[in-house]
Amino acid sequence: MQQLETWIVAANRALVALALAAVFVIVFANVVGRYGFGASFAWVEETARHLMILGAFCGAGLALREGRLVAIMALPDALPAGVARALRWGIVLVMFAFMATMLWLGVKFVEFGWNKETMSTGISRGIPYLAIPIGCGLFLIQLVFFARRFVAQDFEAGL
Amino acid sequence: MAKTLIILFFATLFLGVPVAFTMGIAGLSAIFINGGLNPLVATQRMFAGIDSFPLMAVPFFILASELMTACGLTRALLRFANALVGHVRGGLGHVNILVSMLFAGISGSALADAAGPSAIVMRMMREAGYEKNYAGALSAATATIGPIIPPSILAVIFAISTKGVTVAGLFLAGIVPGILLGLSLAVANHIVSTRHGYRGRDTRATMSELRSASLAALPALIMPGIILGGILGGVFTPTEAGAVASAYALLLGVAMRAFTLPALYGAFVRAAVVTSSVFLIVAMASIFAWLLTYLQIPQELAKLITQITDNRLGILFILAGFALICGFFIDTLPALIILTPILGPIAYSAGIDPLQFGMMLVLNLTIGMITPPVGPVLFVIATVGQLKIEGLSKAVLPLLLAELVVLLLVILVPQISTFVPNFFGFAN
Repeated sequence: MQQLETWIVAANRALVALALAAVFVIVFANVVGRYGFGASFAWVEETARHLMILGAFCGAGLALREGRLVAIMALPDALPAGVARALRWGIVLVMFAFMATMLWLGVKFVEFGWNKETMSTGISRGIPYLAIPIGCGLFLIQLVFFARRFVAQDFEAGL
Repeated sequence: MAKTLIILFFATLFLGVPVAFTMGIAGLSAIFINGGLNPLVATQRMFAGIDSFPLMAVPFFILASELMTACGLTRALLRFANALVGHVRGGLGHVNILVSMLFAGISGSALADAAGPSAIVMRMMREAGYEKNYAGALSAATATIGPIIPPSILAVIFAISTKGVTVAGLFLAGIVPGILLGLSLAVANHIVSTRHGYRGRDTRATMSELRSASLAALPALIMPGIILGGILGGVFTPTEAGAVASAYALLLGVAMRAFTLPALYGAFVRAAVVTSSVFLIVAMASIFAWLLTYLQIPQELAKLITQITDNRLGILFILAGFALICGFFIDTLPALIILTPILGPIAYSAGIDPLQFGMMLVLNLTIGMITPPVGPVLFVIATVGQLKIEGLSKAVLPLLLAELVVLLLVILVPQISTFVPNFFGFAN
């Protein structure tokens, strides 16, 4: 189980880093191309946006693990430890229910966009929309693994 | 529906649900309870909220400052600031301010500054005998210069949601207020240092020390020039400027042999995860902000305000007061995304220049980052410096006052925000 979690976290990190690196490379290459070779590509902007959106939704679970999803802790901190724990379990459930609903809506959103085309690359709109269900799904997996530590406020240092 | 939205938002917020989710949960629940709206509007707004090329300047500037720090340039900036002003009264305090101003030219985020150079100078100040809460408070206050001096993540987010305001225009609008912020904090630091007897270094830096510190910091010092020069010269867009800045930092690090492969990978992962936490808030806040507009809350509020006064300055003061109160309780980024479509139209119909309004709002909410109960920069400094929020909040008061003076000036004198952008042809 531990092994599986480590593996998922590593894969998730590689995915978001790769998305950002890809966006960086194509946007920078487009600037160089425009001045160096007099050529720039219309697909760059759209592809970069869609890759970044994928990276953004997919990084939500990692942000949770590293305690980067800020919350106002004044009330929970003032409560007795037992009550605060119960409250934090409640928060885990609420986040789970919300992201599960978003996953379901995300799938419907992909279906809704499947027969439409994007502006410049002409691919199905459903493809970039996949970022929402994939990101929500990844978040749910991370939440299941991390729930206990989230309740204990035992966040990861990250890389 | 409006009641469901507002009540659920504040309830989840104060129960400790992560801020990004509070807006999504309140928005989605309001949509389901109302029943008249297709729930797919939530996913659609969420996607559209971050589907913007200008917004992609955000990850690039986060990446650029990660790479800059990874190749040791943040420390070089610090040495340079220390050689320049370390010897005057309250020297390290002034170093703290100056290094934040210099770092602000690379990074566009107060949190990056607080966790980076500000945290380093805080430690130096404590070692030199400054009271620990004052060292923390000053570090928190100087970090707020980050999103005012360009580049600025908040300016990007305001500009993409406001017609007629460009990212470049609002970047330029931040230059004078950013410098004023630095000066006002320097005055406050001088007064506090005089009162507490905080001295500077005993000796002034020699010419050769100053020269070597400047040389080491030079690669970092010319970066803002590349960013702003490129944008103003029409060479690249602000987003591309972010990519160029990242490439520059990357090449520099490679040339200086400052990176190991794992360190480089770590910088990309960190930048991606920070981007993700920012974009998640932007995406969720987009659902929330859209619903507020759909429910015509801006119009209702506008009616209410114009009943009180129709004076331009009066309206600007009311809007500023409203934003300031929101800044106490809501985190900067969501507050900006929510308030821009609500307060903006009121300001523009009263004849307030969008650049001035944008600067007022960004500065106002940035100041909210160092006010309790919800002061993200204060939290970072408290965590890094192992300080209690109560002591830190008390020590930050005189510095807060200094920043409010700048806010007042930005409200009273439109030219502080508009002169530089107008000079470069960014007018409305």
